[in-house]
Amino acid sequence: MAGKTIVVTSGKGGVGKTTTVANLGTTLAKKKYSVVMIDTDIGLRNLDVVMGLENRIVYNLVDIIEGKCRKEQAMIRDRKIPNLFMIPAAQTREKNSITPEQMKELCSTLAAEFDYVMIDCPAGIEQGFKNAIAGAETALVVTTPEVSAIRDADRVIGLLEAAMLKHISLIINRLNAKMVKKGDMMSTEDIISLLSVPLLGVVPESDEVVVSTNRGVPLVHDRSSKAGAAFRRMAARLNGEENLPLDGDGSHGFFGRMKRLIWN
Amino acid sequence: MPPPVQVKADRNGFTLVPDPAASLDAIVAFMDERLERSRDFFQKTEMVLDLRTRPMRTDEISVLYEKLYEKSKVKVVEVRLSDELSFSIVAERRKSRIVSKGAGPEPENCAPLIVRNTCRSGVRIVSSSDCVVLGDVNPGAEIIAEGDVVVFGALRGLAHAGAGGERTARIWALSIEPNQIRIADLVAVPPQGVKPAPARFEVAEIQNDVIRVTCL
Repeated sequence: MAGKTIVVTSGKGGVGKTTTVANLGTTLAKKKYSVVMIDTDIGLRNLDVVMGLENRIVYNLVDIIEGKCRKEQAMIRDRKIPNLFMIPAAQTREKNSITPEQMKELCSTLAAEFDYVMIDCPAGIEQGFKNAIAGAETALVVTTPEVSAIRDADRVIGLLEAAMLKHISLIINRLNAKMVKKGDMMSTEDIISLLSVPLLGVVPESDEVVVSTNRGVPLVHDRSSKAGAAFRRMAARLNGEENLPLDGDGSHGFFGRMKRLIWN
Repeated sequence: MPPPVQVKADRNGFTLVPDPAASLDAIVAFMDERLERSRDFFQKTEMVLDLRTRPMRTDEISVLYEKLYEKSKVKVVEVRLSDELSFSIVAERRKSRIVSKGAGPEPENCAPLIVRNTCRSGVRIVSSSDCVVLGDVNPGAEIIAEGDVVVFGALRGLAHAGAGGERTARIWALSIEPNQIRIADLVAVPPQGVKPAPARFEVAEIQNDVIRVTCL
C-alpha cells in the first residue's frame, strides 16, 4: 500500500516549515504509523538539529541519490520512536546536486515502504522548491499572520496549483490571539479569505517552540504545551480522524474550537 | 530526454504539446529550429496549443504565438487548457501592445479574455481586449488589458486598463483595494486609512485627468 507524500512549504523563510515537519512527523509516528522525514534544504540543513539527531549523520540525501549508499543507510532512526526516520540534507552541497525526477523516484520508493513521507522544503521558489514538490501529492503551506509571509504563501500556492498537486492546505503559525483581538494582527478569517485554501490548523504563538527547537526535542512530546496540542490536532486531521475544516463560513464550529484552543 | 515540444498531427491539423519540464526558452528555441528545418511544410498552418500537461502563463502563450507567426506564419488558433476547457483565438492580435497615444486606434472587435480562477501573486495576465477575472486578484498579481478590467472578486493586485492608451477604459471589481491601479497613462495610489466596504461593486475611471474610484 502506498503511503502519503506530504511537502511542507511556505515561500518565505523562518515561518516554521521545519518545526511543522518535525512535530507532525513525530505525532504521526507516535500513532504507530511509519514515518520518514526528508530534509531537502541542501546546503542549509536544519531538520536534524530540530530533531536532535545532528551527531548521528553519516550519509545524506545527496549520497542516496548519487548511489553512494543505500537509502536505509542514510535514514536516521529517532531517539525515542522506533518507527520514525529522517533523511538529512547534505550541508556541503548545492540545491542543483539533485533533480526533480530523482526526488520523484526516491519519494515513490519511500512511499511504498512508509505510511507517511514528510518533505521539508527550503525557502524560496527556485530549484530547491522544485525538487521538494516533485514527489509530493499533498502540500501543506505554512504562513504566519504577516503580510510578507502571506504574499509569499500566495505565490507558492499558485505554483503548487500550476504543478498540479492534488491537495493543498494551509497552516497558520504563530497566531497571537491577543493581537488579533486588538486588531493589530490579521485574523484566521482574513488570511483564509485572501488565500482561499482549506485550513488544516492554527498554531498559537508560544515561547515553548524556541525552547524545544534549541533542545532538539519536538514540542509534541510535551503533553502540556498548547502549540504541541495544535500540532497533534493537525496530525489527526491530516490522518483523516477529524473532518477537514471547510472553506469560509462552513467551518464556524471549527473556528470556535480553534479559538478555545488558543484561549485555554 | 523528450523534446521540449511534441508536434502531433491528426485529422484536424497540428497540435503542439509542450513537455511539462520544458522551459519557455527551450520550447521557443526548439520550435524555431523545427520550423527552420521544414519551412515550407508548416507555412501558414493552423495549430492547437495543448497545455493540459504544461500550464503556461498568458504572456508566455503570447510570446510563443508571436514567435510562430513571425517565423512561418503559423497561427495558434486554439489553446486547450483541460479536457473540458479550451478557447480559440479568433481575432488577429495586434503586433505591439502599447500603442502610442494621440489618434486612438479603433478598438478591435476582440473577445474578452476570461480567467476562471483566482490570480495569485506572480501571475501576469495580458489581454489585447477586455479581461474578465472570475475570482480574486491577489497582491503581486498583474492584470493588463487594452480594454476594461472586470474582476468578480476583490482586486488587491495591480490592474492596468486601457494599456494601449485608451483613456475611457475602466476597472470594475466587487471591491477595489489594490496598492496601485493604472488606466491608460495614469497611475493612482489609494488614500491612506480604512475605506468603507462597497455596497455592490466599484468602478475606477478617469475623470478630469485623475483616476477616481466610485462605489456603486
